[in-house]
Amino acid sequence: MYVPDFEYHAPKSVAEACAILAELGDRATVLAGGTDVLHKMKVGKLAPEHLVSLKHLDELRDIREEPGRVVIGALASHNQIYTSRLLQRRYLSLPMAAHTMASNQICNLGTVGGNIVNGVPSADLPPILIALNASIRLTSAHGERTMPLEDFFHGSAQTRIEQGEILTEIEIPDQASTGSTYLKFGLRRSGALAVAAAAVSVQVAGETLHGVRIVLASAAPTVIRVTGAERSLVGRRIDDDLLAEAGYLAAQASSPRDSIRGSAEYRRNLVEVLTKRALRKAIDEGHA
Amino acid sequence: MSDNHKVIGRSVPRIDGPEKVTGAAKYTGDLKFPNMLYGKILTSPHAHARILSIDTSAAERLPGVKAVITHKDVPTLKYGLSPARWDESIFCSDKVRFVGDKVAAVACLDEDTCYRALKLIKVEYEVLPAALDFLHAMDEGQPQVHEEYARNINTEIHQEFGDVEKALAEAHHVRTDTFVGQRTYQSPIEPHSAISMWDGEKLTIYSSTQSPHYFQHYIAREFDMPMGDVRIIKPYLGGGFGGKLEPTGLEFAGAVLAKLTGRPVRTFYDRAEMFAHNRGRHAQYMEITTGVDKDGKILAAKANFIMDGGAYTSLGIASAYYAGALLPLTYEFDNYQFDMFRVYTNLPACGAQRGHGAPQPKYAFESHLDNVAADLGIDPMDIRIINARRPNTVTPNDFRVNSCKIKECLERVRVMSGWDEKKKNLPHGRGIGVATGSFVTGAGYPIYRTDLPHAAAFIKVCEDGTAATLYTGSVDIGQGSDTVLCQMAAEAMGYRYEQMKIVAADTEITPLDFGAYASRQTYMSGAAVKQAGEEVKRQILDMASSMLGLPADDLDCGDGMIFSKSRGGKSLTFEEVARKHFVLRGPLLGRGSYTPPKLGGSFKGAAVGTSPAYSFGAQVGEVAIDEETGEISVVGIWDVHDCGKVINPRLLHGQVHGALYMGMGEAVWEEVLFDDKGRIKNAELANYRLLTAVDMPPITSEVVDSYEPSGPWGVKEVGEGATNPTLGMFSNAIFDAMGVRVNSLPLSYEKVWRALKEKREREEAAQREQDARREAQGRRADAQRETDPALPPLYANPA
Ligand SMILES: Cc1cc2nc3c(=O)[nH]c(=O)nc-3n(C[C@H](O)[C@H](O)[C@H](O)COP(=O)(O)OP(=O)(O)OC[C@H]3O[C@@H](n4cnc5c(N)ncnc54)[C@H](O)[C@@H]3O)c2cc1C
Repeated sequence: MYVPDFEYHAPKSVAEACAILAELGDRATVLAGGTDVLHKMKVGKLAPEHLVSLKHLDELRDIREEPGRVVIGALASHNQIYTSRLLQRRYLSLPMAAHTMASNQICNLGTVGGNIVNGVPSADLPPILIALNASIRLTSAHGERTMPLEDFFHGSAQTRIEQGEILTEIEIPDQASTGSTYLKFGLRRSGALAVAAAAVSVQVAGETLHGVRIVLASAAPTVIRVTGAERSLVGRRIDDDLLAEAGYLAAQASSPRDSIRGSAEYRRNLVEVLTKRALRKAIDEGHA
Repeated sequence: MSDNHKVIGRSVPRIDGPEKVTGAAKYTGDLKFPNMLYGKILTSPHAHARILSIDTSAAERLPGVKAVITHKDVPTLKYGLSPARWDESIFCSDKVRFVGDKVAAVACLDEDTCYRALKLIKVEYEVLPAALDFLHAMDEGQPQVHEEYARNINTEIHQEFGDVEKALAEAHHVRTDTFVGQRTYQSPIEPHSAISMWDGEKLTIYSSTQSPHYFQHYIAREFDMPMGDVRIIKPYLGGGFGGKLEPTGLEFAGAVLAKLTGRPVRTFYDRAEMFAHNRGRHAQYMEITTGVDKDGKILAAKANFIMDGGAYTSLGIASAYYAGALLPLTYEFDNYQFDMFRVYTNLPACGAQRGHGAPQPKYAFESHLDNVAADLGIDPMDIRIINARRPNTVTPNDFRVNSCKIKECLERVRVMSGWDEKKKNLPHGRGIGVATGSFVTGAGYPIYRTDLPHAAAFIKVCEDGTAATLYTGSVDIGQGSDTVLCQMAAEAMGYRYEQMKIVAADTEITPLDFGAYASRQTYMSGAAVKQAGEEVKRQILDMASSMLGLPADDLDCGDGMIFSKSRGGKSLTFEEVARKHFVLRGPLLGRGSYTPPKLGGSFKGAAVGTSPAYSFGAQVGEVAIDEETGEISVVGIWDVHDCGKVINPRLLHGQVHGALYMGMGEAVWEEVLFDDKGRIKNAELANYRLLTAVDMPPITSEVVDSYEPSGPWGVKEVGEGATNPTLGMFSNAIFDAMGVRVNSLPLSYEKVWRALKEKREREEAAQREQDARREAQGRRADAQRETDPALPPLYANPA
C-alpha cells in the first residue's frame, strides 16, 4: 500500500502544536493514533502535506477525577479507557464501549480524541459520551472553547472543529443518572464496526424514569440523539411496553441507509431492538 | 487402536514450531538479496475494456525505475492451470476482463517508487459493457468475456448414470430445491510474493507456492526453457488453501523484470490485490432433485448447477467436475444425473478453495436432504444413517471406495452431541443440525497430463548415524506435513523423530512431488517416504546382520535400536550400524516414489474426483438464534471423522478446527461483494469478515477407528474433507431453530432475521384469513341455525 509523501512534525507542547497548525493552515492534518489517518492516506482519501503528531503531548493522556467532573485526555487510548479503574468505578459503560472496539492492536493506538474528531457515525465512543452528557475542550493559537459533545457533530460525518484546533480533553460532569449502557450490534465478536448501536443513560427513581438520554450510532449520517423517544419515557412508569414504544420511536427517528453491513430496513429494526434492550439494561444494572 | 508404532500415532511437536513461534522463520517476503529490486503490477480499473494505448514513457523517466514492461515485452503464450483452457496472458494486450487484470509492471529501487511509477503509466481504455451476473452471462446479447467462448460458456458437463427418470417416476416422494452459494476468498495470512533471479540461462524463483512442481512446469513452458533450468524454492509459507496453487503474474512478470534488469526482483500482492487475483470459491446456483422411497432411501438424484467462473479458467474445470462428482460419495444411490455450466464473467477468476468444488453442493444436498426428511417425518440423523455408504462399494460415477465408516461417524456424533435428547428438548430459538462430508485423498490424476510419479522422496542418513534428512518435494503450507512426513520416515526406518531433519520443496534439491492440494500429501508423499524409509531400514538390518552374525530377517529396528526378534539379548544402536555402513558400503540412502493405480471409469470427465481413498465425516452443530436481530450464536460443534490411521493426533485435530473455522466463515459470515462496476467492495479484512478467535465455539473433534488398506499405515485425508459438512450443518441447525430455510449463502444475520420476519408475517396473514373465514362461517352457521335448530353449537376453542 502506498502512503503519499508528507512532512512530519512532533511538537513538544500543546502551544507549539497550535502554533504549527496555525502556520500550516489547511495543509496540515493532526495525527493522534493514526488508525484513521493512515488508513485514509493508504486508500487515497487523504494526502496531507504535513502531519502534526501529538505523540509527545503526554499531558493529554490523563484520565482523572476532579471536583464535579471526570476528565479524559484526548490522547487516552481505547485500551486506557477500557482498563481505567476510575472509569470502571464511575461509568463502567464507557470502558465497556471501548471494549467493543476494533482489535487489541488498534485499541493500543487509537485515541478517544481521534474517535471523536474523525466524526463518522459508526464511532463507538461518542454515543456513550453524549449519553453521559460529556463536553469537549478545543484549543488553538487563538484560545480555548468548550462545547457539549452533542453539538459537535452535524451533517454527514461533519464536525464543528475549526482549522488549527486541537481537541484536548473530554469532560463528564457529575450527574444524577443512575445507569448507562452502550449496546453495539456487530457482525462478529471482535473487529466489527457497528451495524447499529444505541447508548442510553437513565435516571430511575422508584418505578419511574426521571431523565433519559438516548443516542444512536450507525443510524443516521451522524451520531444522533433521539429526543422524541426520550420524552416518551420521562415521568412514566417503567414497563416493557413503555421501553418497546421508546425503541419504536427511536427507530422512527433514525435514518440509516443501505450499507455493506446491512440494509436500511434491517438497521432500523436493530435500532428499535437495541434501544429497548439498552434501556432495560441501564435501568436494571446501572452503569454497565 | 492396537499397534506397536513407535513414532506415528503420537502428537510429537511440530518440526517448525520453534522457528515459527519465535519469529525466526523466514517467509518469501522476508528474504532479501543483494541489489534486489521491487516490482509491482499495474492492473485494470475496469471490469471490461479495450486497451487503446499504453504509454510508459513518463514512468520510465522517473528516477529509481529500472524497468517497465507491458505485453510487448513478454511471451504471448497463454497459460493457465487447467490444460484444456489456457486462457490467461502475462499481460493483457487487446482488452482487460476484470478489475485487477494485469496490464503492465515496473521494477524499482524501492516499493514507494513502484507506486509512483504505476501512477505514471498512462493506459487509454474504451470501456465495454461487462457481464457481471453469472446467472445471465449465457443469455443472448450479453457481453462476451472471451470471443472464442460463445455465450460465455467455459465448461459444460452433462453426465448421467443409471436411469434417473425411471427411478424418479417410481419414487414415493420427489422433491426439488434450489440454493445459491456465494463467492468467498481463501484469505491466507501471508500475502503472495515471489523473488525471481537469473544466473545466466538459469531462473530461480523463491515463491509462496503450494506446488513448486507445477510452477516449475508452467514457468518452463511459458519461457520455453528446459525444466532443469527453472528452480522453484518454497520458503516457509503462511497458508494457501488452494489460492497459491498456480503461477501468477508475480512469477511471470518478476522473471521478465529480473532478466531485463539483471537483478533479483521481488514482486508481491497486498491484501486488496490478493482479493483481485482471487482463485477462491465460485458462486454457484444449485438445483437438486431427489426421489426417495417411503423409508427415505434415496433412489435417484439430479444436480443442475451453474458456476460463476470469473474471467479466467484457473483450476475451474476441475472445480466444475468436482461439484458434481463428489456428491454421490457419502450416500449410496445408483441413479445420478449431473448437469453443469461454468460461465465466464467479468469478475476475478475463481479456482480451488479448501474442499474444492464440494462444500457448496454439499450444503445444497444436505439442506435438501433435511427438507426431504421433514416431508417424510424422518429424523435427519436417521435419513443419513439409512443412506450411508458402506465400505468396499463403487459410486455410480465409478469411484471405488475402500474403507468407509460414515455410518459409524454418524452414530458416534449422535451420541457425542446428545442429538436425540436435544432434538426433543431444545428450547425455542435453539436448533441442532447434522451434515456429512467426504473428500478425495489426493487426486487420481495430475493437473496436466504426465506419467510422472505423483510423489518421491530420498532419505540421507548422516555419516555417523546421529541424524537423517528427509528430502521431499512436498509442501508444508502450515498444515504440518513436514512434521508428519518426518514421523513417517522415522517410523519406516526404525529411527527417532527427534533426530530427523527435513529439506522440502526446492525443485533443484528435492525429488518431485505435486505439492499441497487435493489433500494428498500424508497419503501420497507419505507412501513415497515410507518406501524410502524402508529402503534405509533394509540396509541397516543387512549391515547389522553381518555385524551380529544373525540372519537379517530375524532382526528388526525400532526407536533407533536394532535387536533380534527371536532371542532378544545384545542389540546395536542405529548410529553404530549406520556409521559402519558408511565406512564399508558407502552413503546410506533411501529412495521412494508413488504413483496411484489406474482409477475411474471411461466417460468424459471420469478422472476428476478419482482417488485411491476417500475420507468421511459427520458434524453436528447447535445454534441459538436471537429472533429480534437474527444473530446466530454457535453453542457447540461436534465432529467425527473417518480419516484412516492418524499419524499426529494434535495436527489432525488442528486440521479439523481450521477446516471448521473456514467452513463456519463461509456458512454465515464471509462474502466477497461487488459494486455495479465489478469492483470488490470489501477487499480488506475489516469488511470481509473472517471469524476471530473469540467467535469460535467449543469444538469436540473425534475420529473413528479406521484403516485404509491402500494407504501407508492405513492413512487417509482430513484437511479439506472437514470443511465439507460445515455449510450444510449450519443450514440445518438454523432451519431446526427457526422452522424456515434460508436458501442462499452466507446465512447472514440479516437473512435469518428477514426469513423469521417473513415467516411471522405469513403466519399472521394466515391467522387473519382463518379468523375471517371463521367469522364468515360463523355468520353462515348463525344464519343456518336460525332455519335449522338441530345444528350443534359452535365452540370458540374446540377441544
Ligand atoms: C482495523 C480497524 C478497526 C477499527 N475499529 C473501530 C471500531 O470498532 N470502532 C470505532 O469506533 N472505530 C474503529 N476504528 C477507527 C479508529 O480506530 C478510531 O476511530 C480511533 O479512535 C481513531 O483514533 P486515532 O487516534 O487513531 O485517530 P487518528 O487516525 O490519528 O485521527 C483521526 C482524525 O481525528 C483527527 N484528530 C485526532 N486526534 C485529534 C485531536 N486531539 N485534536 C484534533 N484532531 C484530532 C485527525 O486529524 C483525523 O482527522 C478502527 C480502525 C481500524 C484501522
